[in-house]
Amino acid sequence: MKIRPYLYTLIFLVVAVVLSIAIGSVVIPPLDLGRILIGWLDRAAFPEPLKTFAFILTGIRLPRTALVLLTGAALGGSGAAYQGLFRNPLADPYLIGVASGAGLGAVLAMSINWPYSFWGLLAVPVAAFIGALLTVFLVYTLARVGKVVPTTNLILAGVAFGSFATAVTTYLMLRSTGELHRAIAWLNGGSSQAGWEPVLAMLPFLAIGLGILMLSGHALNLLQFGDDQAQQMGLPVTQARTLILVAASMATAAAVSFSGIIGFIGLIVPHVIRLWFGADYRRLLPLSIISGAGALLLADVIARSVISPQELPVGIVTALVGAPFFLWVLRRAKNQGYW
Amino acid sequence: MLKIEGLSVSYGDRRVLHNVSLEVNSGEVLALIGPNGAGKSSLVRAVSGVVPVESGHIHNGDLSYRYDLLTLTSMQRARCLAVVPQAASMPPAFTVWETVMMGRTPHLNFLGQVSAKDEAIARQALQKVDALELSERRVGELSGGEQQRVLLARALTQSTPILLLDEPTSNLDLHYQVGFMETVRTLAHQDKLAVLVVLHDLNIAARYADRVALLVDGEITAAGTPQQVLTPELISTAYHLPVQVIPHPFANVPLVLPGNK
Amino acid sequence: MFRKHLIALLIIPLLAACGSAQTTSPTVIPTQPATNTQPPATSNPAITLTDGLKRTVTLSGPAQRVVSLAPANTETLFAIGAGAQVVGRDETSDYPATALSLPTIGGYSGYNLEGIVALHPDLVLAGGINTPELVASLEQLGLTVYFLQNPTTLEEMYINLETVAKLTGHESETAALVDSLKNRVAAVDAKIKAVSNTPTIYYEIDATNPTKPYTAGPGTFVDLLIDRAGGKNIGAELSSQYPQISLEQLVVINPDIIILGDSAYGETPAKVSARPGWGTLAAVQTGQIYPFDDNLVSRPGPRLVDGLEALAKLLHPDVFK
Repeated sequence: MKIRPYLYTLIFLVVAVVLSIAIGSVVIPPLDLGRILIGWLDRAAFPEPLKTFAFILTGIRLPRTALVLLTGAALGGSGAAYQGLFRNPLADPYLIGVASGAGLGAVLAMSINWPYSFWGLLAVPVAAFIGALLTVFLVYTLARVGKVVPTTNLILAGVAFGSFATAVTTYLMLRSTGELHRAIAWLNGGSSQAGWEPVLAMLPFLAIGLGILMLSGHALNLLQFGDDQAQQMGLPVTQARTLILVAASMATAAAVSFSGIIGFIGLIVPHVIRLWFGADYRRLLPLSIISGAGALLLADVIARSVISPQELPVGIVTALVGAPFFLWVLRRAKNQGYW
Repeated sequence: MLKIEGLSVSYGDRRVLHNVSLEVNSGEVLALIGPNGAGKSSLVRAVSGVVPVESGHIHNGDLSYRYDLLTLTSMQRARCLAVVPQAASMPPAFTVWETVMMGRTPHLNFLGQVSAKDEAIARQALQKVDALELSERRVGELSGGEQQRVLLARALTQSTPILLLDEPTSNLDLHYQVGFMETVRTLAHQDKLAVLVVLHDLNIAARYADRVALLVDGEITAAGTPQQVLTPELISTAYHLPVQVIPHPFANVPLVLPGNK
Repeated sequence: MFRKHLIALLIIPLLAACGSAQTTSPTVIPTQPATNTQPPATSNPAITLTDGLKRTVTLSGPAQRVVSLAPANTETLFAIGAGAQVVGRDETSDYPATALSLPTIGGYSGYNLEGIVALHPDLVLAGGINTPELVASLEQLGLTVYFLQNPTTLEEMYINLETVAKLTGHESETAALVDSLKNRVAAVDAKIKAVSNTPTIYYEIDATNPTKPYTAGPGTFVDLLIDRAGGKNIGAELSSQYPQISLEQLVVINPDIIILGDSAYGETPAKVSARPGWGTLAAVQTGQIYPFDDNLVSRPGPRLVDGLEALAKLLHPDVFK
């Protein structure tokens, strides 16, 4: 097994994590950072400003880094999986309506006045998650013809359903009496509250979803030859495609429910990995997961530092920075038949 | 060997195969010929499990050790028979080696981890089709003939006693057609494979097949040696075209010529 | 080739972060909380209130370091005399002018949690414009947050003033402020009673698409204040708070007066007159198009009374000099 791709992407991720922890709107000088790390065990006795710095690190930056890392991992991994499943370079994790379903669920939940409590605040991300999965289920059922789910049907049903859900969501937002800004805030940045709760809530779905995807590399390779040939080589095609679809959608739904709708990572990261490291999905999936995490972390660092103390929505940064970067990589790529 | 008994397949309301029975022995090449729409590709798809079968049995092996392929899972069936499709729209980014290794799937775990033995089998398959030096090339860069050989190597890597080929020579020029069929025949005879080839070209069928079966409108109208099946009466009726059949100048097979004197 | 890409990818965020660190002033972290200059008005030690999200909020004493997350809250704090106790504001808080010198901590496109924490506030004053998720985040970071529910009537606004007064120890000044506000409103009411005409008003919120502009509907302060100032808001019959009205409807209704709540975005009476199809409106022909400071009627704080007086002057200039 070639080590170098994993080494490079892991280094990339580690650097991104370090940057995400070290950079924020409050400038923590590197020396103080060092002092905090060294004296970590006695941190209760830190003098100011170290005490505040340490609190910012553990209370704000660390959980946010974890949340962004998991979100990027989910988007990178499911983007690669969707591109493999649909055999389409334009596929991204939102192709069959996960994002629109989540948005609709969230906005519906916001129109109900939940009491302010732990469970009340959980209502919006849970509704988003359910909305996302329900949409995928409906799209899948609508696209099915007998025992088979043709790819084209899936895409068409997904696009139609997604547009419908988005239209209903926009309508609800227009008719809202006061939840409009909350809906916009959610669409841009999710229900991300500070602290570890969102991370812990996402973790099981991501672990299962991404875990399944990491093991599906071989199946995705076979699927590139078409359903017929994959079956003839021994893959139980319908079961494999359903499993991968559910796993990828679940990971995306969990990510979107807590982080909002962030584009570009799921589309571009797998392509960059393909250009550099080849199209074998056994490698493409884990590398996309790692690189997706790193890429989103970097975008998040830029989003919160470039016009500090104000923050840009991370989705804008991914497009603004990601698009030119990808075009640059594409122009300089030597192997044109990388797809 | 491959024994198809009473196979019937429908697409919706349309019957495409009626009660088809066919036998291919080990070490024999059977060419399946017939006009367009006769159901030849449907037969390959039905036998390989891609389309559902209404009725019939498909048995593998001789009488002392046979089981119905229709009752097997895809994985189990893939250990019995392998399919060589037409080399059209192959994913261009995989290398020849990666493509051929996928043929080992039915013998690997679900992660697709290969052992040295699997690699040896793949290498041997590539050698047999004379494509070993193409191993590191990307499939997208190959010619049609090279791609078809890679697909044959992949099927051989699957290490199955039965091989199905669906119009493998349709996109190949004369040179590649002849080379490919020579390889197929040699492999069938040497490794005792039961090979069923769907062919358009009647003369290629005559030249390289041990037996020929004629499929018209979903039914087998004739099966036997090339001399027995490639007769003016049978071919003219099947293809709705007058044909002449003369002995081949230097091979001991019939030569089919469309048209009349 | 790949290595070069990787390095480039890592340099971009570093440059962004370094660049921003030099051009924007980093939030200064005081090593000790600043000593308070405003002694508490009452000697009540603990303050316990229930906020707009039905949360119980407890302060050990009047708040001395308040961060305001909404412009109305900032205006309220300064109006009741607690301006010296405010240590941070959101970026849209621009009134009064003395507030502009306070450090900012983001706005509704994203609040800077680190910045808020670094200011060591003993009270964060949130408003209706802030999401419950934000309140939960601040709570989770150990901060005391009070969510001031948006008022829907002037009476509720007075109550909000009194609530903030309790939180910051300015009860007596605020009582005087509320009295003066009530008097001013009563004065307007008295004059309006004597007026006979009720002009129809079209209050424009956004006209990016001049054939379908946004106006203020029922349930907004704009609607309430126009009504109180002796006018009829044509948006009162529409079905949502910020509905779109078509130009055709506008022509049929033919309002007497056009008030440009979007003048802060560059709309002028001249521009309105020049819009295709608007020339038939009576208000355009008689030149009754007036720019207006929307903040006076949209920020649910004490300046609503200023807004009421401004509207009354526009609608009934003969009565209000």
